[in-house]
Amino acid sequence: MADPRLFRLRVTFCKQGRLALLSHLEVARALERAVRRAGLPYAVSQGFSPHMRIAFGAALPVGVGGTRECFDLLLERYVSPERALEALQAASAPDLMAKSCAYLEPTAPAASVAFPVSTYRALLSCSPLELPVPRSLEVVRKKKRKTLVVDDFLVGEMELAGAVVTFTLEAKPTGSLRPDVLLSACMDAYNEDPHARDAEGFSLVAQATPSVMEAAPCEECERLSVVSVTRIDQKAADGRTRA
Amino acid sequence: MTDLWPRLERLLAHVERPARYLDHEWGCVRKAQADFAFCMVYPDTYELGQANQAVRILTNVVDATEHLRAERAFLPAVDLIDLMREDGLPLFSLESCAPVREFDVVGITLPHELAATNVLETLDLAGIPLRAEDRGEDDPFVLGGGPCAFNPEPYAPFFDAVLVGEGEESVPEALLEVRRLRAQGASRHDVLRALALLPGCYVPSLYRWRDEAWAQEAGVWIEPLEAGLPTRIEKRLFAGFAESPGWEPCIVPYTEVVHDRLNVEVLRGCARGCRFCQAGMMYRPVRERSADNVVASVMQGLAETGYDEVSLTSLSSTDHSQIAEILTRLNRSCDGKGIRISVPSQRLDAFGVDMAGLVAGQKKGGLTFAPEAGTQRLRDVINKNVTEDDLFGAIDAAFAAGWRRCKLYFMIGLPTETDDDIKGIASLAQRAYDRAKAAVPPEQRGNVRVGVSCALFVPKAQTPFQWDGQIPREEALRRVGLLRRSVKYKAVDVHWHDPETSFIEAVMSRAGREAADWVEAAWRRGARFDAWSELFREEAWRDAAQEVGIDVAALAETSFDPSRVMPWAHVSTGVSTRFLALERRRAAEGAVTPDCTFGDCTGCGACPALDAENELVEVRHG
Repeated sequence: MADPRLFRLRVTFCKQGRLALLSHLEVARALERAVRRAGLPYAVSQGFSPHMRIAFGAALPVGVGGTRECFDLLLERYVSPERALEALQAASAPDLMAKSCAYLEPTAPAASVAFPVSTYRALLSCSPLELPVPRSLEVVRKKKRKTLVVDDFLVGEMELAGAVVTFTLEAKPTGSLRPDVLLSACMDAYNEDPHARDAEGFSLVAQATPSVMEAAPCEECERLSVVSVTRIDQKAADGRTRA
Repeated sequence: MTDLWPRLERLLAHVERPARYLDHEWGCVRKAQADFAFCMVYPDTYELGQANQAVRILTNVVDATEHLRAERAFLPAVDLIDLMREDGLPLFSLESCAPVREFDVVGITLPHELAATNVLETLDLAGIPLRAEDRGEDDPFVLGGGPCAFNPEPYAPFFDAVLVGEGEESVPEALLEVRRLRAQGASRHDVLRALALLPGCYVPSLYRWRDEAWAQEAGVWIEPLEAGLPTRIEKRLFAGFAESPGWEPCIVPYTEVVHDRLNVEVLRGCARGCRFCQAGMMYRPVRERSADNVVASVMQGLAETGYDEVSLTSLSSTDHSQIAEILTRLNRSCDGKGIRISVPSQRLDAFGVDMAGLVAGQKKGGLTFAPEAGTQRLRDVINKNVTEDDLFGAIDAAFAAGWRRCKLYFMIGLPTETDDDIKGIASLAQRAYDRAKAAVPPEQRGNVRVGVSCALFVPKAQTPFQWDGQIPREEALRRVGLLRRSVKYKAVDVHWHDPETSFIEAVMSRAGREAADWVEAAWRRGARFDAWSELFREEAWRDAAQEVGIDVAALAETSFDPSRVMPWAHVSTGVSTRFLALERRRAAEGAVTPDCTFGDCTGCGACPALDAENELVEVRHG
């Protein structure tokens, strides 16, 4: 990436609405096509199979949206960030829309690793009195079973405010915990017989403002489910929010 | 119309690749001012259907017509279909996420012979009665079209009307006619009768299906139930094709689909006259778009879609009289932008390789050639006007230019084929390998690969070989075994395409209306997505044949004299049956017939029948 003749433009965009259901690969292809439609002077790699020099930020799972996702694009010519943004917006679908453009130092960390700390906000189908969070959960990745300890990834406390859960996860070089996987484990625990939950295996997150509960009693709801999940912030490991 | 999105959205968390069901792609259109709604269905999943040219062309022409609007619908993948049935959610269109049965007219394209059970899956999932005779005044009109419309009979009971030929003009005409009559309060029957009088439009329910003896006597299998109905359905031709812009608005999918690139149709039709080829008969005459049109269309299409690849599509793009100019100009315009240009259907000679080389850049994957038969005798029988010298010239050029792999396509079971022809395939492939090796530097010879890919010959309606039966499965397997034993080189791989589906294709291509019961019985026994090898259920088809009591082997395998009246005799591609019979006799003599776009008229009859002629921009050079 560090070619001094090229200009490194960081673009933030949102992934929302029904397009939250796109996979990372689908988002990447859609953004590349938006860059071409925008007519930006993107750099092309040399070699056997020339392609656009673009690098994407940390992946979002299928079904998880984002308000400030990012990608880095290398340009052969300087285009003012305002003009680049205008061109990208004209070439983007409303639910996958460019939000800002800014030039970066060529040596700045890659978009994919710059922000390992992500904050997510999930909307639940109703407001539970308290939410059980499993202390560990089993995931299957590439046919291998793996046990993940939730506290290894969770940064700070989960917050429950009415039907909204907010939590922060840190991606580790050895792996990460997907927000949708964590939430679905919480839903499963909640929807099972509450008495079967032992204190060993679960921690309980209570409503931040108990008065909310009076407005929305949860007993009316058959099963608690996740309506939507959105990544609302990404930070560097040292706590710096990105530009 | 009902909005099913809230119900669909709940299911999407549980299915693979939800991007297929979202709509909202770049380029999708939702026309507001129109009171008549048409749903264009491709009877397979989004990945196959979204790439389909007919879907793109027809939704565009309908949206461009006053009063009419079009939406798309595809069959969901099996996981979602099963959830929808559990949930009672009917088949939906993409743009409005509305029930398909709420549209005024539903059009289903018939892209190949293995889509028949998916037509029933589509109708059933939509909640539309499977058979036209069971549809009521409130049901949509179901129109069919596409390649299989040239033998519509195995599908006849499922369609209210079948549009034969190119739909650019006939589809809007048919829709406006339905709209006009419905506005007057006309009954379903009256609408159908009016459709039957439109050129190229066949309404099966207005005709009785007769038996063999009656048909051979009368020269046609259908008999009108009312006075004044045509008994010959001539295909429609889009006369404005050559002049029309090669770029037209298209949708850029999010999820990866087949042929996921900008497709610009550079010409339509092919007159090479291969005697097994249905497309070569069905799209005559040949019409080229000019280099100026093609180049401008590609550049505009790339700018508006953001694709990084463009394919110059047609049945034989390298036959275009200006192909070298087109590729040279496109290369210049796309230089340095990381844009790939591809040309499908490789012409089998050194010129074809030169053209492939013009656009291949540094990345040279594999080249594919289709000699179709292993000996010159059999290539003459099928009128594949290609010699060994052509093939070897192409191989020399390709491997000298840097390619290291090539694939050779052959058919097994072609009319008059003997064991010598099978051994000829092995011999040809091995000699091709020797030529390839000789054309590359010694240190790279280990990388040279030649693949042989074989499929069972499927006799197709509307071709000179329509009277020839398919060889039985056991015989096909014997011949493949012979081929495998005859190939001695390790670097020559032999691949063989499943003969079971080829058998279904042969029946569907050659049968009459009696096959519709078989299709429905097979679907009721669980057959669907027959073109997906992992979902194909042979036993459903076999048991269905027993249940309805038709001899499907006879339908696929019986050979007839060219004087026999075939079940599609009432449908015409413009090419005369007399010409097909003549071509069949010339095949028996091993006499070849040239391509009229490179020389004189061969008298196929298409031009006078359709009041058209070949439209070539410049003189073609073979």
